[in-house]
Amino acid sequence: MIRNKTLIVFSFIFFTSTILEGSTIVIKNATIFDGIEDSSYLGHILIDDGFIKKVSKSSMVQGDRVIDVKGKIVTPGFIAPDTEIGIVEIGALSVTRDDESNIYDIGFSIHSAFNPNSTLIPWNRSNGITSAITLPRNTSSPIGGLGSFFLLDSKMNINSNADMVLIGRLGASGSSSRAENLSLMEDILSFGLSLNKKDIASDITIDEIIENSSIASYLDLKARDVKVLYRLFDEDLPLIIKSHRASDILNLISLKKKYDLNLVIMGAQEASLVIDDIAKNDVPLIINPINNIPNSFDELASNINLAQRLEKAGIAMMFNVSRDHNYHLIRQGAGVAVANGLSYGSAIKALTSNVAKVFNIENRGSIKVGNYADIVVWEDDPLEPSSIPERVFINGIETDLTTRSTRLRDRYTKDLNKPSTYRN
Amino acid sequence: MKKIYILISIISFNIEATNFEPYESTYKPLPYSNTIFKNANIYDGDGNEFLETDIIIQNGKIIAIGKDLPGANTLTRVDATGKWITPGIIDIHSHMGVYPAPSVKTSSDGNEATSPVTAEVWAEHSIWTQDPQFALALKGGVTTFHVLPGSANLIGGRGVTAKNLQRNTINSMKFPDAPHSLKMACGENPKRVYGNRGQTPSTRMGNIAGYRKSWIKAEGYLSRLDEYEAKSDEAKELSYKPTRDLELETLAGVLRGDILVHNHCYRADEMAMMIDVAKEFDYKITAFHHAVEAYKIADLLAENNICAALWADWWGFKHEAYDMVQANVAIVDQARNGTGCAIVHSDDEIGIQHLNVEASKALSAGLKAGYSISKARAMKWITSNPAKAAGIYDQTGSLKVGKNADVVMWSRNPFSVYALVEKVYIDGALAYDKSSGFEPTSDFDIGIINPKKRRIEE
Repeated sequence: MIRNKTLIVFSFIFFTSTILEGSTIVIKNATIFDGIEDSSYLGHILIDDGFIKKVSKSSMVQGDRVIDVKGKIVTPGFIAPDTEIGIVEIGALSVTRDDESNIYDIGFSIHSAFNPNSTLIPWNRSNGITSAITLPRNTSSPIGGLGSFFLLDSKMNINSNADMVLIGRLGASGSSSRAENLSLMEDILSFGLSLNKKDIASDITIDEIIENSSIASYLDLKARDVKVLYRLFDEDLPLIIKSHRASDILNLISLKKKYDLNLVIMGAQEASLVIDDIAKNDVPLIINPINNIPNSFDELASNINLAQRLEKAGIAMMFNVSRDHNYHLIRQGAGVAVANGLSYGSAIKALTSNVAKVFNIENRGSIKVGNYADIVVWEDDPLEPSSIPERVFINGIETDLTTRSTRLRDRYTKDLNKPSTYRN
Repeated sequence: MKKIYILISIISFNIEATNFEPYESTYKPLPYSNTIFKNANIYDGDGNEFLETDIIIQNGKIIAIGKDLPGANTLTRVDATGKWITPGIIDIHSHMGVYPAPSVKTSSDGNEATSPVTAEVWAEHSIWTQDPQFALALKGGVTTFHVLPGSANLIGGRGVTAKNLQRNTINSMKFPDAPHSLKMACGENPKRVYGNRGQTPSTRMGNIAGYRKSWIKAEGYLSRLDEYEAKSDEAKELSYKPTRDLELETLAGVLRGDILVHNHCYRADEMAMMIDVAKEFDYKITAFHHAVEAYKIADLLAENNICAALWADWWGFKHEAYDMVQANVAIVDQARNGTGCAIVHSDDEIGIQHLNVEASKALSAGLKAGYSISKARAMKWITSNPAKAAGIYDQTGSLKVGKNADVVMWSRNPFSVYALVEKVYIDGALAYDKSSGFEPTSDFDIGIINPKKRRIEE
């Protein structure tokens, strides 16, 4: 009984300490990898009203709440650039999937399907991911579907950047030639480039445009699709194309040059074979640095040292994972990349500021004055997957690190004299 | 002189060849690399840690472990100062060879998903020995792996244990005298595969009925066999030997205790039921595989002497994998005063290359759950425990004098993501050496991007 009472008091204190949004917090004695510099420095971070107000190397920083982290590593919250967070709860259970459309293709937005109560959010957050880009499943079309950026703060009032990236794919399909896909991609791009503001003024004008374009009518495009193609060029929207084979990468680079695309290539297992072209044309890559499997005939050059070679060539890289749900394992991939020659500072950038830069995520991805305070205090080295965060701040608010998984763990390791269903 | 030598070797080859039964192992180690490792830090795989200790391997075996061993002049000396040495890593759940890379239809041979019970198929008959994944796993320290059929079927067929010494026939890779295994599967997969075709099983109760019906048939077959074998030679001549039935031969092998059951099963309630099925037909389950909910019945598993082969953290890809707890491995390990048998497995071509890091994650989660578990103990999860589950612990799985010299030398403590494998020995023969670039290359990897190079040669 007494034990229960103290517990209640503690949880009350914790609760009140987290809701003082206006107060200032100082994270003191931090070994800061800020996502900008290659190496770390010992410093102190002042968080005020959700933002990083000051980053100082002198310890004179004052605040309402001072957290001495005693030299522990502090990084920006990691940003996972390729996830299904919020739109897929259980992979093989279609009733929990919202990543596909039967009607829309190019203009399909998953933004409104995002579930802020998904168990994947606390799970990835408690492992250091503070925000993520959620992408729909690739369609058969070479360009199709919009991704959105989400903060993983579990708030019903979703903090996001909707439809900020368009996706597509190029490579082996098993049914038709990649040449057909490339031609179709170019036809779509050329149609998109031809659009101007008055074309998309109303659904009536859009219908006319579609009727007059052989490719738009062949693809049965809808108004949403056409508007997104206009945005692609008007807003210089990032376009992520999933592709692996070296020759496909070169074809994509040609399209980038011809159509002045904001191109990002994802996968890119054969990037090492055309590394100079990628570097010369400033194409950022999303790679899975732990994947060295020649998993298809498009990925024969898969090699564990890709990240290190990209760094040497000066190519901006970001990381993804090959299995769903545990998107935080981009940390493990980064660790493996470092073990195989990537510098530590570049690995941290790949997990933070590179994603923010490439996808125009403003004021996030690095620890600097004026940015939102998305900050993680690590118990140990963040690139060792065995170490986890001690504290995670999103928009300057310390978040709870309980997950359904830790609840289940506690249920089966504590209070065992009760039947399991009567435990916490 | 040369001629005589060739002659002798042909003769000896013929003699050996005639000694082998069909499908039997023809494995031969590479030339022995008799070596003394000086000043190594060692996890022996049986739960012990030895710092700054020497180890000698000779003629395929571990012959000495101790401080300041003299070591004969004939031994190659390896300065292992600051390095770590462990037993060869063993993956109890691999699909290398049956789901090789590249992942294409023409060599996707892991599931005979044409009938819910296919006890007659053997995974070894599907293995493509030129799979480029073997060499990648070797660079992750894997010296032995157990290949199972997939999980589409209630009873999927026999598994095989192999040495990770890539050769161009499966018989020359098979682990000599390793027991055969049988893959069984619970839950969503069989009921989905066959339910979608409108046939049984389409429910979990259909699954259980399917196993029971098979075991009843196997019991009948076994009693007919026993009856025949008990007869006198004269009586045998007067009666027909029961016709061989490949499916029932495998199941009877389980009932006789010769074939080890490896049971894919996620949910705690289903594992408990499978233990009942095993009791009804008096067979033993060696290990549950994947077992995302093993932590819910860890005591039951320990009491029944059943291992659980687990991932460190994979979850959510299907409903029965939803209740993931990272301390699963540790909870199983610590059950009933530490008598539980926990294994970290991969079931994955990337995971198999990093089983040390997977074990490290599982260990860390166990410590956070409040258990006190040493790294030396956690090393058992990827060495001696899978060796026991594969029935080969008497030969490998730990660094004990007299055992096979399956040895890995790591650049640093293997519970770190930064640890790299520097040398791998299989049966006392160097199979991989990072510094000299000595490594196997599959036929697939030769000249496939650039005719003059290997696949990932720069």
